[in-house]
Amino acid sequence: MMSADLFNVTFRLNGSETSFHVRPEEMLIDVLRERAGLTGTKLSCDLGACGACTVLVDGKPSASCVTFAWQVVDRDIRTIEGLSSGDGDLDPVQAAFIEHSSFQCGYCTPGMIMLARALLDENPNPNRDEVRQWMSANICRCTGYEMIIEAVQDAAERNRSSLYE
Amino acid sequence: MLPNATGVHSMNEMSRNLHVVGADLPRTDAVPKTTGSATYTVDVSFPGMLHAKVLRSPHAHARVVSIDASAARGMPGVHAVLTRDDLDGLSPVYGYFIKDQPIVAIDKVRYIGDVVAAVAAQSEQQAVAALETINVEYELLPAVATVEQAMEDAAPELFEDEPMGIVPDYGMGASGYRRIGRNNCYRFSYKTGDASVAFASCDHVFEDRFVFSRDQHFHLEPFVSVARYEGDTIEVWTSCQNPFPLRKELARVFQHPENLIRVQVPFIGAGYGAKNNCKTEPIAILLAKLSRRPVRFCMTTEENFLTQSQHAAILDVKSGVMADGTFVARSGLILLDSGAYSDASPLVAEKAGYRLPGPYKWEHLDIDCDCILTNTTPAGPYRGFGGTQASWASESQVDIIARALGRDPMDLRLQNLKDLGETYVPGESGLDSDMRVGLNLVADRIGYKKRKRVYGCGMGLSVGFKDAGGVNKPAQARIRVTTNGGIYLQCGTIEIGQGAQTALSQIVAETLNAPLDRVSYPALNTDYTPFDQGTNASSAVVVMAQAVQNAAIEAKNKVLSFAADQLECSVDDIELKDWTIRKGNEAHPLPVMIMRYYGGTGYEFTGEGFCKAEMDHSAPLETKCVSWEFGWGAAEVEVDTETGLIVLRQLVVSGDAGRAINPKICRGQDEGSAVMALTGALFPCMVYDGANLMNGNGLDYRLPLASDLNDGFVSILQEQGHGPGPYGAKSVGEGCMLPVASAIANAVEDAIGVRIRELPLTPERVLAAIDAAT
Ligand code: FES
Ligand code: FES
Repeated sequence: MMSADLFNVTFRLNGSETSFHVRPEEMLIDVLRERAGLTGTKLSCDLGACGACTVLVDGKPSASCVTFAWQVVDRDIRTIEGLSSGDGDLDPVQAAFIEHSSFQCGYCTPGMIMLARALLDENPNPNRDEVRQWMSANICRCTGYEMIIEAVQDAAERNRSSLYE
Repeated sequence: MLPNATGVHSMNEMSRNLHVVGADLPRTDAVPKTTGSATYTVDVSFPGMLHAKVLRSPHAHARVVSIDASAARGMPGVHAVLTRDDLDGLSPVYGYFIKDQPIVAIDKVRYIGDVVAAVAAQSEQQAVAALETINVEYELLPAVATVEQAMEDAAPELFEDEPMGIVPDYGMGASGYRRIGRNNCYRFSYKTGDASVAFASCDHVFEDRFVFSRDQHFHLEPFVSVARYEGDTIEVWTSCQNPFPLRKELARVFQHPENLIRVQVPFIGAGYGAKNNCKTEPIAILLAKLSRRPVRFCMTTEENFLTQSQHAAILDVKSGVMADGTFVARSGLILLDSGAYSDASPLVAEKAGYRLPGPYKWEHLDIDCDCILTNTTPAGPYRGFGGTQASWASESQVDIIARALGRDPMDLRLQNLKDLGETYVPGESGLDSDMRVGLNLVADRIGYKKRKRVYGCGMGLSVGFKDAGGVNKPAQARIRVTTNGGIYLQCGTIEIGQGAQTALSQIVAETLNAPLDRVSYPALNTDYTPFDQGTNASSAVVVMAQAVQNAAIEAKNKVLSFAADQLECSVDDIELKDWTIRKGNEAHPLPVMIMRYYGGTGYEFTGEGFCKAEMDHSAPLETKCVSWEFGWGAAEVEVDTETGLIVLRQLVVSGDAGRAINPKICRGQDEGSAVMALTGALFPCMVYDGANLMNGNGLDYRLPLASDLNDGFVSILQEQGHGPGPYGAKSVGEGCMLPVASAIANAVEDAIGVRIRELPLTPERVLAAIDAAT
């Protein structure tokens, strides 16, 4: 049922052009989780504070809980589901999170991984302190962060070595 | 990239002949959790599912005069409305030992946020809109916001009548009482020797009051469940860490047979203790019953703050020592702020009281721990479980004593710590770590003995302590091995983030000589999974792991005796490896042998395992504690005496895993718990204005971030090898919670000569303490 106050938004979602009829107050996270069925992105504080809902909008980490769906018209959205390649190869960030045991409950993990991906896209060679500062945008209540920082540093190295291969 | 144990040879010294145990294998939940495919309760959904929202009390204490919800029933999308008028046929009040918390308010509301009514609608927005039409008439009552107020003679009582409940049985020296004072819901006492007489013969007696902050768990996945009530069957998917006790409680509340209640637990987005017992489930189930539709009740972060918190505490500790530093007697009175309902407070009181002595050679102890009800969020289990409060006071006072005696605090600890194997108190088990080893380790790492004495900079040490493994916990596990060697490990330990699924699977793979990726760990379903009391008390690796290992051994023995029969030889002549029987140089693949005997459709071998500490009435808690968990901490601080700011330059923590099943997972536990403890030590925690919580949301509640730490934060994993778990394993989930706050406060005194007895260690408190000292 199409009502007058719904409008059409079109954006790229994990590489494919996608359209939804959304209500004006509908948040990006609801479109992702409830309409697109991409439940990897997690909702927690719903205030833009914790980063559990982080997705990439044109490559920039964004809290999808405080992003209206209409704000992403014509943008490129990447979620955790779009990170590994089509044939199932994990992104170096995902591989490093596994290798370094950088998650526990896993609820912050999709957001943390997207945040780290954005960092490495912007700065392929961050030092430890830059990683620490950047990753402070998101909350992890489980790990104490050190193993996350180590994974991001390692992912940067993996990225670099794959570039020079 | 699935974890694969074959070809992993990264064994350390102690694991020369182990293949899987002790190896830093990737966690078995790694791929789902890093690709977004892991299913949590928030992700569970059904066609036609409704969404629940609740109306919460705006008053801290009030009588509910009338509720008019008639308009809500006619609102768009609404399928069910629940108030106290819809509780017929139920026993609608729940709790652990004491049943005092109603599903929805019945006669009174007792805190801001107490649930008054609930609505199930097609969307959350519709449910919220409907709640706004509900009219509640309250008659306001005076409220008690703090423990001190609640204990005054004329204080208003949260419960005029005694709620139904029990006092558990205790053994030697321990006892429990109910309602022994104004708004007192429970007292735990422990006594040995005669402290009051002993104090008289001590050279020095120290009396200090310590105050402990109130953190909120802030698990990122909220309290959430999805319920279906079809025919006679209640079905609930929930983010719950003790689903079997939940099933039992739901059976009582709904007056429903347990076999017609099915609880399922997907991955849990952490709990840290909060996700025990009834939270969202009774309302979701009742709304599902009323609406005949599946109902999802997912709280917001703000609602999490109104549902469960840690126990704030006031701890009066009195210690008698001799001039040479010998610890003789300790007494204490702990007041726990229990919030509005008893919840787990009696259990937390038991542990806080029992742990207050710390692991020292006192001969006389006399401890009381009282749970005081206040008109605030109910307090419940929180990682450390009373031990964090007890260690804060105990380890702060050890430093106070040392400084008064002119002794180095580390020396005084080394003098008085119990020895490895020494019983904790009469009738108890022996302590299963060498505490001196751990203390020396963190002190050396931080450079304690070589520290330069500069005003404003200082170092402090602490030995956090608790028992581990729970009280009287039975554990059961089942192993099933398919025709082709696929292994199912079924047990009630829930993967809540701690890595239990991986560690327990590693033990099974080791025992059955199979690669780790052959072990599956089905999500818990109370219809199929063997009973368990709950994923808590750091019990997985010391209690459940023994049951798991026993089950794997039984399964393996069945396989070996089957194979020996088939090969007409003795079991001693054969070995099991990668689901093949080796007999000398011969290799006999089991699938072929199985199908030859059982037919082409195959077979499953099963093994059952059990573990439980024996009942023992001479043990204070009725069983000897299974294990003891320690967290050694060392902190270096720089204190700005102008601003009062404490800069944590180094934080070194260490736990003893006994034998690390998976060292990286252990490290994650140590570091995660230490950072969690930083919240209570240095961050504002829950700030109340009267009975009104001021910062209960994700923006205002400040949690440690990566940038709050620096490279001076280090954890050191010990493997002392004395644990009761398989291969000598011990628990590591809570230990490093315990020493952090006191190590920092001790470092502050080392830095500026000022003792702060109240948490959190905010700049205001530091400045006030400096003022008071000058
Ligand atoms: S859920 Fe979006 S920032 Fe917390
Ligand atoms: S892994 Fe649980 S919040 Fe980060």
